[in-house]
Amino acid sequence: MRRPRCVVAAIALVFACIQAEPSLAQTLTGTVSSVAEGAMEGVLVSAQKVGAPITVTVVSDARGRFRFPDGRLSPGHYTLRIRATGYDLAGPKTVELGAGPADIAIKLTKTANLAAQLTNTEWLMSMPGTAEQKLPLMECMSCHTLQRIVRSTFNTEQFVPVLERMARYANNTIQARVQMRVAPVKINTAVVAKLAAFLATINLSNGPVWNYELKTLPRPNGRATHVVITEYDLPRPTIAPHDVRTDRDGNVWYSDFVENFLGELDPGTSALKEYPIPVLKPGFPTGSLDLEPDADGNLWLAMMFQAGLARFDMKSRTFQVFPVDGAANDNAMQQSMVMPRSDDVDGKVWTNDVARHAIMRVDLKTGKYQRIDPFQFLPKGSSHAPYGMAADAKNNLYFMDFGDENIGRIDAATGAATIFPTPTANSRPRRTMLDAQGRLWFAEFAANKLAMFDTKAETFKEWDVPTSYSYPYDVFSDKHGELWSAGMASDRVLRFDPQSGRSVEYLLPRPANIRRVFVDNSTDPVTFWAGNNHGAEILRLEPLD
Amino acid sequence: MMPGVQRQKALWRLVLLGVAVLGSVTAARAGGQMTFGDNTNTSANDGPPFFGFVRDTDGAAVGDARVTATVKSGGAVVTTSNSIGVYKVAGFAKSINPDDIAISCAKDGYKQANVVRRPNGSGDLKDPIEVDCVLQKE
Repeated sequence: MRRPRCVVAAIALVFACIQAEPSLAQTLTGTVSSVAEGAMEGVLVSAQKVGAPITVTVVSDARGRFRFPDGRLSPGHYTLRIRATGYDLAGPKTVELGAGPADIAIKLTKTANLAAQLTNTEWLMSMPGTAEQKLPLMECMSCHTLQRIVRSTFNTEQFVPVLERMARYANNTIQARVQMRVAPVKINTAVVAKLAAFLATINLSNGPVWNYELKTLPRPNGRATHVVITEYDLPRPTIAPHDVRTDRDGNVWYSDFVENFLGELDPGTSALKEYPIPVLKPGFPTGSLDLEPDADGNLWLAMMFQAGLARFDMKSRTFQVFPVDGAANDNAMQQSMVMPRSDDVDGKVWTNDVARHAIMRVDLKTGKYQRIDPFQFLPKGSSHAPYGMAADAKNNLYFMDFGDENIGRIDAATGAATIFPTPTANSRPRRTMLDAQGRLWFAEFAANKLAMFDTKAETFKEWDVPTSYSYPYDVFSDKHGELWSAGMASDRVLRFDPQSGRSVEYLLPRPANIRRVFVDNSTDPVTFWAGNNHGAEILRLEPLD
Repeated sequence: MMPGVQRQKALWRLVLLGVAVLGSVTAARAGGQMTFGDNTNTSANDGPPFFGFVRDTDGAAVGDARVTATVKSGGAVVTTSNSIGVYKVAGFAKSINPDDIAISCAKDGYKQANVVRRPNGSGDLKDPIEVDCVLQKE
């Protein structure tokens, strides 16, 4: 048994030496300028080797200079891309990297199509209307950008059937692949009519141009330019990486919100493996959402409309599925969340029943699900929706009430629920993580805030996200106590220090629909990972400080 | 109308006003909740809300006290008193008997001294129920 290990070690060593060979590593540096501004700070410069799935992005500094990290680009022909709202790339649009370092001068020109460059946040900043009128647009961003709305020419009457049609789409729909719900959807026609009337005031139904000023966020500056961003293109546009996390070996795992696969990406080679998840309900929407490790490090997936949970054994690379049992598994059954972190305590894994706004937990020995209504003592008909989950060391569950404004706790032993309303009303808490100090960090999606619930003191703290209309989806507290967050609107990653209140927002190279965020604490500085749910790519963000 | 009932209704209006003023900035930012789906939230399904004051034994307001409304059949709602010692717990399900809701309060450095449930003089089961909580410094 020893000999093969030596052989493997030797091969690994040779491979490591090849990887580290300096002659393969090139340096690309340069400047960015325009006639309008001269040297430009905060311009994202992206380089993608022709035919390769990896794009590396850096940001120009206050002198307009940029530098790709040594060794990050290998010799070859590269396509260049920029992101600077209000500008287009005049040239050069390609660069050949050879044996030596290259230094280029990038020129930008004013864009003739500013609207095409606006983020969802910038559209929300620009469009007229009250906060209440704009709020439903949060739901639209789950499937597409707001560009699709503001560029449409529908009037109020024409919008109504469009909205009613889209209300029947499954959550796990993207533009590249629409999936219909099987269960009928009850539509609130009054809400639809009100929304249709508003949308017809912000689109192009009244003329060829928008009757409001297009507002933009400032370009990155200072600390926000100290970053390297790597995009890993996935091979099909129908891959929708929802939750992303790394393992001990540095490989990246993701749940695919649209296709029924678990993905594993080697960021060193960009090699991709896809593990097909068993289809439990043919004809129902496919794709999974929550991706969480259990006490043994195996990965669990919430199977959405496939109605159940899947455990992926990291050693055998095989799935064991736990379908929702019995009559409860009807056409509306949906599991978006799974929480197996403390399954070793009592052999039970938490999940949710989206359609019935309830919590469920499966007994791993029997495969039987138990349903718990944590809101049974609250007024009936309220808009509750258990969503992000965390479990403590005793497998007590903490969950986000995404439909309302509460954090909930369910006692693992008794099943009793305790509800903690957030200080901010209508906050719609979304995803969460529990740290070693018993602090529950979470994003208040509708309130545009990050928040912390101290599970010991049972007290809250909340912080405003610096940019309005960011709508944070998730937050991660890293080893230094800094918070990392992102969402579906601003194309930015927020880094926030709750102690000092200092924040930095890193602009991403492309429109990005980010859901779960993950921070790899094994690097220094830490490394941020997320999936671009609508862009079929994995994002790695490396701060340089 | 009995003076006690008048007092209770006036206090409830004061609580609502306070909540509205304190929450106005937030409401402007967060707006109302509206989605494509049903909004079946209706006061017809609500039992009465609970509210009250958390004070110390000298009558001074105690802010940031943890107030727990425990349901006899299981479950609880936990909230916090504001800077003037006022707390509010939104209504429970209509099926829950208000008499089966127990209010308690706690804060580091204090112990609970007394809980005073004001009588509902009007007899209207939808009227808010005032329960005041007294904390004693340890």
